[in-house]
Amino acid sequence: MSDAVADRPKPIVSRFDPRFEVTLYRHVGVAGSHTLPYYREHGGYEAAKRALTTSPSAVIDEVKTSGLRGRGGAGFPTGIKWSFMPPADERQRFIVCNADESEPGSFKDRYFMEDDPHQVIEGMIIAGFAIGATRGVLYVRGEYYLAYERLREAIAACHAEGILGRGVLGSSFDFDIILHRGAGAYICGEETALMNSFEGLRANPRLKPPFPAQAGVYGLPSTINNVETFASVVHIMAKGGAWYAAMGTDDSKGTKLYQVSGPVARPGVYELPMGATFRELIFDLAGGPTMPAKAFIPGGSSTPMLPWTDETLDLPMDYGSMAKAGTMLGTGGVIVIPEAKCMVDAIYNIVRFYAHESCGKCTPCREGVATWLPKMYQKLLAGLGTREDLVVMEDMVRNMRGTAFCPLADACAMPVQASFKYFRHEYEHLVDHGEPLHARRDWWSA
Amino acid sequence: MKVTVNDVEVDLAPGTSAIDAVFAAGYDVPYFCSQEYMSPVGACRMCLAKVGAPRKDRDGNWILDDETGERTIFAFPALLATCTSALSEGMVIDTLSEEVKHAQNGMIEFTLINHPLDCPVCDKGGACELQDRSYEYGSGRSRFEFTKRHQEKHHPLSDLITLDRERCIHCKRCVRYFEEVPGDEVLDFIDRGGHTYIGTVEHGLPSNFTGNITDICPVGALLDATSRFRGRNWEYDHTASVSLDDASGSAVVVDARTGRIERIKAGLHPEVNKSWIDDGIRFGHEYTADPERITRPLLRKDGELVEVPWPEAAAFVAERLKEFSGKDVGVCIRADATLEEGVAALALAEHLGTGQVDHAPRYGPTVMPPAQATLQELAVSDAIFVVGDVSEEVPAVDLRIKDALRGVTPPPLLPHGVPIADLRLKERMPRKREILCVAAPYRVDLMRHAGTVARYDVGGEETLFRGLIAIAEGGSADERVLGMTLAAAKAFVDRLRAAKKAVIVTGGFVLSSQAAADAAERFARAVGARQLVLGPMANAYGLEAIGVLPSHARYDYASMVAGGAKALLISNLDPAADPAVAERLAESRLLVVHDMFMTATARLAHVVLPAKSGFEKDGTVVNLEGRFMPVRAAPVDAGEAVDVTGLVRELGLAFGVRIEGRSVRSARRSLRKTLGTDLEELTGLGAFVALPRRRVAVSVAARPGVRGRALRVPTMVRQEYLLRNPHLLATLGGPALRLHPDDARTRALSHDDEVTVRVDGVPRRLRVYVTDAMPSGVVSVPALPDAPAGPADVDLDGIVVERRRLEVA
Amino acid sequence: MSAQLELPTVAPFFADKPDLLVEILGRYPDYGRRSALMPLLWEVQRAERHVGEARIAEIADILGLRATEVKGVMSFYSTYHEHPVGAYHLQICATLSCSLAGADELYDYLSEETGVVNGETDREGRFSIQKVECLGSCGSAPVLQINDDYYERVTRSRCAALLEAMRADRLEAPWRERSGDTDVADPVAARADGSPSGTGGAP
Repeated sequence: MSDAVADRPKPIVSRFDPRFEVTLYRHVGVAGSHTLPYYREHGGYEAAKRALTTSPSAVIDEVKTSGLRGRGGAGFPTGIKWSFMPPADERQRFIVCNADESEPGSFKDRYFMEDDPHQVIEGMIIAGFAIGATRGVLYVRGEYYLAYERLREAIAACHAEGILGRGVLGSSFDFDIILHRGAGAYICGEETALMNSFEGLRANPRLKPPFPAQAGVYGLPSTINNVETFASVVHIMAKGGAWYAAMGTDDSKGTKLYQVSGPVARPGVYELPMGATFRELIFDLAGGPTMPAKAFIPGGSSTPMLPWTDETLDLPMDYGSMAKAGTMLGTGGVIVIPEAKCMVDAIYNIVRFYAHESCGKCTPCREGVATWLPKMYQKLLAGLGTREDLVVMEDMVRNMRGTAFCPLADACAMPVQASFKYFRHEYEHLVDHGEPLHARRDWWSA
Repeated sequence: MKVTVNDVEVDLAPGTSAIDAVFAAGYDVPYFCSQEYMSPVGACRMCLAKVGAPRKDRDGNWILDDETGERTIFAFPALLATCTSALSEGMVIDTLSEEVKHAQNGMIEFTLINHPLDCPVCDKGGACELQDRSYEYGSGRSRFEFTKRHQEKHHPLSDLITLDRERCIHCKRCVRYFEEVPGDEVLDFIDRGGHTYIGTVEHGLPSNFTGNITDICPVGALLDATSRFRGRNWEYDHTASVSLDDASGSAVVVDARTGRIERIKAGLHPEVNKSWIDDGIRFGHEYTADPERITRPLLRKDGELVEVPWPEAAAFVAERLKEFSGKDVGVCIRADATLEEGVAALALAEHLGTGQVDHAPRYGPTVMPPAQATLQELAVSDAIFVVGDVSEEVPAVDLRIKDALRGVTPPPLLPHGVPIADLRLKERMPRKREILCVAAPYRVDLMRHAGTVARYDVGGEETLFRGLIAIAEGGSADERVLGMTLAAAKAFVDRLRAAKKAVIVTGGFVLSSQAAADAAERFARAVGARQLVLGPMANAYGLEAIGVLPSHARYDYASMVAGGAKALLISNLDPAADPAVAERLAESRLLVVHDMFMTATARLAHVVLPAKSGFEKDGTVVNLEGRFMPVRAAPVDAGEAVDVTGLVRELGLAFGVRIEGRSVRSARRSLRKTLGTDLEELTGLGAFVALPRRRVAVSVAARPGVRGRALRVPTMVRQEYLLRNPHLLATLGGPALRLHPDDARTRALSHDDEVTVRVDGVPRRLRVYVTDAMPSGVVSVPALPDAPAGPADVDLDGIVVERRRLEVA
Repeated sequence: MSAQLELPTVAPFFADKPDLLVEILGRYPDYGRRSALMPLLWEVQRAERHVGEARIAEIADILGLRATEVKGVMSFYSTYHEHPVGAYHLQICATLSCSLAGADELYDYLSEETGVVNGETDREGRFSIQKVECLGSCGSAPVLQINDDYYERVTRSRCAALLEAMRADRLEAPWRERSGDTDVADPVAARADGSPSGTGGAP
């Protein structure tokens, strides 16, 4: 047993491990990288070609071997999700790409679609083959117009070259993609809301069960994954599941895109093996904060923040470590919150976001998230709050947790609870003195 | 499947929802969004409970607790909305713990933060689900100290329904209702999040079933405009009865206050109308409180009708009747009279010694088909062929057809009644349009839901069925006659024949021709389908069944008023609307009219006797499926009005004899002998009674109809009372002369012009309704009791425009 | 159903665009015709800067829906407009990362300069302003979306220049901001198109 452990090569958990190379993002930012000739010059569609010569179950097995977990935020194992599809029958099946990236702090998928759309298409072809879907749906958020245009061009180019349509890449597999543009609704990132939106309905989340594998798009068997997940699948098929699994920690395999925003020297998207630390991301890659920081949000606005300490900065960015720390990996969108920012105001900003994006279907979200909670923050920030209000807020947020129809209310409640946990003193200062601990300032640079 | 709710174990069928388990166990959870007969959606989050369930290990054995040896109960991490959770074996549901109470209290608090709490001025007060649940599950105080959302408080969704947007709690019952029940999304949520409100851009909710949303609204947001501000719930007398508006036998609840009907709500009848009624039934009650209503007997003295006491009026009639030989007297009641009234009419005729007794409107063909379908059978049918416009004729049938299109069998009843959350129902279920074929001489609403549509020529029902019979027998038919392609007709005939539960639905258009009705019956036999025949009024079935029929073809109603009867007793009919008939009736030696209003006929009468409306009498009717159903009188002040039994009682007193049917009880004694059933024992759900099938030996004289040009069409709203129902009148604009835009252009008519036109010689004031639903060259006018549905002669050349529509400068 | 007033008739939007209509409807399977709802709304809005009542009714007709359904869907999404927006529809992301980079000040500046506030269009129909939520440009904040285009890392001086360009109707295509791993090894070779580099960039 101990021998086996000793024999196993040490997993890659640092960007600076010489075995690591930037894979997913190597073309992003390169002029012309969105074109089909560029993509093919760099080995594009070879992975799909290879996958199409194997069998769907072989593809699923490879993905299972890789240990890939969904990159949309929830982290559900992709290979297992694919194997949930019911046995094939005469019904049309769909592979759906969730490109409705809208969690504050997340912007990796946009760069992908603008600069490397073919990687997404290739991933969808492979996934479609694996689950037996001859149609794909690519739902891009409405604001991503350039991405939409680039994807449209890319899909047209694929049609011209026999990459999409009848007999993909010379195989007997038919596959086509319906490109669909959203119109501004965060809730569409929730998979069933996205499906409703695609079907031309109001984007309210659907009741689960039935899950998408049973009744997804148009009530037909469907599998839905995030943009980055599809991109990852391309490389898993190109280099093998074992290559992928050599990166990361026990419960979190492979390479992942992290985003850093807020006051840091080099904000942006960075690709790291899973299990790398926040310190490596924020300091070694993003150049560290440009002003004193007091907290950071680890994975998009819905994930509970962590205080800015040596311990938290040294946490490995993987699913398990995040859960242990009482937060989540989410989309990997790190937002650094500077000392000088009033925490109450920062959280109000997040609350306001969820209030704006609540679909209004269920009571705790419509009345709590979208109505009452923002009003309480406004009261506090106007200097009119009391200690009683803080008690009311905490209880209200407790009533929002786990009671709503979909995770949106939780997404709003969690950052609020975390702020109460770590920065209660800022709330108390505000209600006791009528003004924030950190006064409002001009954040706009010349 | 055994589950435990708190301390009670219940055994329920798999697939049952957890909320129904809670109620079945005798416990309660609050809920606002769930609604019987609609999909559970889990929107209000009120029905949260702590739920746990045992699990099985990989070998399929229950995981047991090491210490107790019992199955380990694994609690779900969050509270579950019980309305959207299906039971699993051994599930444990806790509705009483502190955690659950805290959450329910929290949800009540959330629900109330934007609710105006204007209960003291709210019509729903005292019958409000939110009010009740706030008392039961709320903390009684609010921590919300901000200004509540201000929105429109008197938004007219239509002339019939007023919306208070502040009171809305977004349960989505109304929005779901339109999609799920009538299948017509005329109402939706607009905007999102905290700004969400319900609204329509359809200008007046174009559907025949809008009023149901006022019943299912859990708060006072959606209110019946006819009853708004007219009373408090605890002031109303609620009378559960059956609607006499059409032949469906729909259950209703009549709410009356201080002797006046204020509103009609849907009653629950799981096998007939479920909990839905159409707008004609719901809003068509205002005429009962019309100030022109006749409330005392009137006797003509010196040429004038003057109010007299009942004994004087009755004595006059009795005295005058002595002048006639029995066979010269005619008695005719309307086809929505109760069985008891029918017995009274028959007994009176017998006492007078006349065979001239009838009910009208009545077609020649029977409304009692040999292979009778029930509404429950219709609702689970796998092939339905409809001829005519059922959505207007008997709208309840329209909704039961839509049940069949959804393909969900009626839910089994639980200890607490209809399931609160039937998990088989979903939003936006695919509809099996292919099982429905709708044929009519013009475009009818139900065609939008049909897989196969046929538009045949006016009066072409007989040839249509003969064509279909030919196809069923392996032959062919002319596509013009079929109104659809031969291939479509063949495919649907095959579907009907292959179906296990095929139903053919026909109404007045088919009944108006004996040959068509015979052909329909033959076709039904040929394809093995059951039939549902929509009789012209509420009790056409029952009155035919007990034989309120003339003893000879020459003695029917049309013959009576054409001069066959020298003395006439007419209840609730107005033959003198036809000037030719009026001329003859003016000369009749005795004309006794029993009616609610001073009709053209009443104006000619020697005696006018005040009649009760259908809401004011007790009795029994037999609906279109042959179900005997109890009608109950609401406490309404109708003056000295009586029903036909009362009329017979008064006459009997004057004659000095005790006539059978002189009271409801007396009529029922008589019926017990003929039916072998005591109608006194009939429960609200009614019952099927084995009936001797009688072929109607007599036929009404067909009015001369001009084929291919005009139709009298059935309408959901009773046209004889339309002008006295202000809210329905505002909605419809008036009785409609419907015609194609091309025809309107040719005749220089515009939408909304008011015209007078002769229909079968009877001048009628109508409103021009231009619609491409009518084929070019065809016009329609609403049917009346004295002029039921069928081909008509409309004198368009003699049309007179009384008032042009409002012109916009 | 009272007297119907004559409304000024508008020519149907799609009447002279049969190919477009066929193309949009053709994207979706027969049973998914309703999916064309959002693309149809987009077409109208791109052409007319809003979707008016007559267009809603027209789209409902095309798809066999009630106008209410179309309105219900359209009103759900924040980027469809019931009333015309300006020729330059300025959408300012106000969410956390942009706020930390000066989005609130950016909004104040634009509002003051154009004279309109959130949700308004100016009288000339040139500018309209909408505060929006996260546009996915957190690493290059603050972002200003002008019609369909993202203008990222909009500093005070860049914003002034943009405004001037819009007033002169000489707005140029946006520069490209990429940061993080997209700063490839050889930026000169990679950015042959000469667009400004997004390297570094600290507030």
